[in-house]
Amino acid sequence: MTFRVRTIDQTAAGREIVRESEIAKDSIVIGRAAECDIHLPDLAIEQRHVGVSQTPGGQLKVEALGTLGFTIDGRATTGATLSPREGSELALGSYRLEFGAAEGGSIAVTVRSSGEHDDHGKEALRGFALASVLPGKRGIAWTALAIIVIAFLAVPIYTHLTRIPTKPSIDKPGTVVMDASWSPGPLSAVHHSLEKNCEACHVKAFVAVRDNACLACHKDIGDHADHAKLLAARGSMSWGAGFQRAVATMFNKPGPGACTDCHIEHQGTGPMPDTRQEFCADCHGTLDERLEDTALGNASDFGKVHPEFAALMETGPNQTKPMRVSLASHPKQWDGLRFPHDIHLNLGGGVARMARNIGAEHGYGAALDCKDCHHPTADGTRFLPVDMERDCEACHSLVYDKVGPTFRTLRHGDIAQMQADLVASDRSGHAPIVTGRRRPGEYAPGGLYYGNFAGGSGLVGRAMAPDGVCGECHFASHAGGRLGVMPVTQPARFFAHGWFSHVDHKQEACSSCHAAKTSKTSTDLLLPGIGKCRECHLGEDSKTAKVPSGCVMCHSYHPREGAPASAGLITMREPE
Amino acid sequence: MATTAGRKYAADERRRDSDHESFLVHRRMRWFKIAVVVSVVAILGYALADVKPRPNGGSWYGYTLGTIGALLIVWLSLLGVRKRAMTPGSWSLKAWTSAHVYLGLSLIVIATLHTGFQFGWNVHTLAYALMMLAIVSGIYGIVVYSMLPASLSNNRREMTKREMVESLAAIDRQLEQAAQPLDRGESDLVIAALEQDPFGYGVWTRLSGHYRNCRTEAAIAAFSGVRNRAEAEDRVRALLGKRIAQLQQIRRHLRLKAMLEVWLYIHVPATIALLGALTAHIVSVFYYW
Repeated sequence: MTFRVRTIDQTAAGREIVRESEIAKDSIVIGRAAECDIHLPDLAIEQRHVGVSQTPGGQLKVEALGTLGFTIDGRATTGATLSPREGSELALGSYRLEFGAAEGGSIAVTVRSSGEHDDHGKEALRGFALASVLPGKRGIAWTALAIIVIAFLAVPIYTHLTRIPTKPSIDKPGTVVMDASWSPGPLSAVHHSLEKNCEACHVKAFVAVRDNACLACHKDIGDHADHAKLLAARGSMSWGAGFQRAVATMFNKPGPGACTDCHIEHQGTGPMPDTRQEFCADCHGTLDERLEDTALGNASDFGKVHPEFAALMETGPNQTKPMRVSLASHPKQWDGLRFPHDIHLNLGGGVARMARNIGAEHGYGAALDCKDCHHPTADGTRFLPVDMERDCEACHSLVYDKVGPTFRTLRHGDIAQMQADLVASDRSGHAPIVTGRRRPGEYAPGGLYYGNFAGGSGLVGRAMAPDGVCGECHFASHAGGRLGVMPVTQPARFFAHGWFSHVDHKQEACSSCHAAKTSKTSTDLLLPGIGKCRECHLGEDSKTAKVPSGCVMCHSYHPREGAPASAGLITMREPE
Repeated sequence: MATTAGRKYAADERRRDSDHESFLVHRRMRWFKIAVVVSVVAILGYALADVKPRPNGGSWYGYTLGTIGALLIVWLSLLGVRKRAMTPGSWSLKAWTSAHVYLGLSLIVIATLHTGFQFGWNVHTLAYALMMLAIVSGIYGIVVYSMLPASLSNNRREMTKREMVESLAAIDRQLEQAAQPLDRGESDLVIAALEQDPFGYGVWTRLSGHYRNCRTEAAIAAFSGVRNRAEAEDRVRALLGKRIAQLQQIRRHLRLKAMLEVWLYIHVPATIALLGALTAHIVSVFYYW
């Protein structure tokens, strides 16, 4: 077997010098020693470094003869077998020996000096790192940082500081750029038009929204009470609330009592969130301790601490002006009428019978129902006053005469006219309405359904008697020496300081709150007390209530009407 | 004095154990426990705190969580400074890293509760998103650090990176010699394969491991299609096979390495960007106070 060795050297000028030799041996030794078959003068190579021999299978076996290994096809090892047909490269120090098959079954060995110890790897090794194909982390980081700081900090601040302050308007957007990115959430529906006008409310940098910003538009908002009284009423705070207040003050928040204490914005579209019960309870929970002259009972939670309702009404015929009376004292109401609800709502009896008889014509059902006489206002909140002509007269007829097929009716509400009509009816001859025959049972004189159809003048004389044409419902009055009836009052609203809407309660039957079916007299005040409301409504934090109810469900901090007459407008306060 | 020797052995064992203990289980997972306690307290506080009209970053509890979160973020980002100065002791870099990981995870709870689950297209949510990006990339980093080094080691087959490059270079030199007898077309195939930089691929190719347009593979396909290959063609085909095998080892290495390194390209810039967004978040809140 033969090794054909080609040694390729390079001159300093780069010219190649090729020397060829043949070694007819089965195995050769490669090393630095002169007696080696292939002699490589490199100090990094051992005297006898590598032995190469042929295996029976025609492969070449390469092994290290000393302790140092070698590199075959780039891989460091101390022993390897290679196929001459495929070829392999043995690297020793600065030399590379290429083994391959030559004609005649001999082995070709090409020896080259690379002139350098392999150090070109350094550059290639960097290719392994991701850094070789990505921009630097610092570059990315600084770029992102710069974009964020400029877009979300520098631009809005600069445009805010250099803007020309104008009166806030819902019609034109603000001039500060990029500050929409600062909005922590959408404004409530009523303030939606200010969405692009942050500086309308956020007027000065690092100054929390002041009341003046709100009052710029809400000029007509009424104050809750006299300002000095408000300050006097404010209770001492709990430890937690006091600490929060101290922190808020430290961070230049306005208050206590500022608009923003109760009205919190940026909580999403829709209505502004209701003011929390605790803002009312702060003062009203223990109001009597600080405002000794107050007429108001303490209230901190509808389910727990809240006075009984007080209704605004007359309690007797001589009262000139309605007064607030607590329902706790079971007051009687004076409305100037005789009206027993129980008879009218009875499912049997004469009223029910009459309602059935004339029902179809007037839209009644079977027996009378509340809605047959009580008609809601257009908004459904309250009820219209009962109207004699519309709601009573279908049964309580004021007919006093019949001419041919036509009935003559008294005019309700005009006593002089009534007297004149009745007296006049006697002067003209007419057929008596009744035969004069005595009628049986309750239809007889003194009975419940007795109808006295004696002549007109007779009716006038008995008009104010309890069974008279007026006195059946009204009380006689002789004020000023003239015959009359006592004034009838039908309060549209009993609770002046609380809000109640019937339409919000239309799922309930009338009788679940108003005990009309058992009321024998119209002096019964048919208003439900607080206990009835508490069957469903308890305080804001109640876990058991059907309807957890904060103060603002029924009450308004700002007077709804008549603001100037009460505590005055907030805008009238001293400037902050 | 067997007991003294025994004690010394035990002490040495402890030291050795702690030297090799992962930052994840440092001091019996002390920082994991602390992070769990912090998170649970934050959640309980969120459930119990009486803030109305609804949980919000601007409530007293929101400000409390926000302050804690902001301080945590600043401290967590200081790991980049801290790791460049190694010190032993209870505030060793390992302890610091352990705290970095677990407190960073607890930040998911703290910051999410701070938002009150109110999100929008604003700088506040931007800060939150960047923070979550940093945390998620950090979680990925921990996962790959615990899983991939073994695969990286297996793929090496006792070769260094330099040897891989050397091996490829050796194969390339042989290819160049072996291709000398080939005609123009076939030579061009070999030249094309040799000229292609094994590292000249972008981050996606490295991560996916799908090297389209690999000219070595194209050359193999071409040579495999030649019928009655001459000896030189056969040799080149064999060398190309060796070359692709070596390339595949390098590519597997590149893939693992890319998976190990890529998260830092998100984690670090996201953190720096977060510091900017956090500043804008806090300043804007007080500016429009």
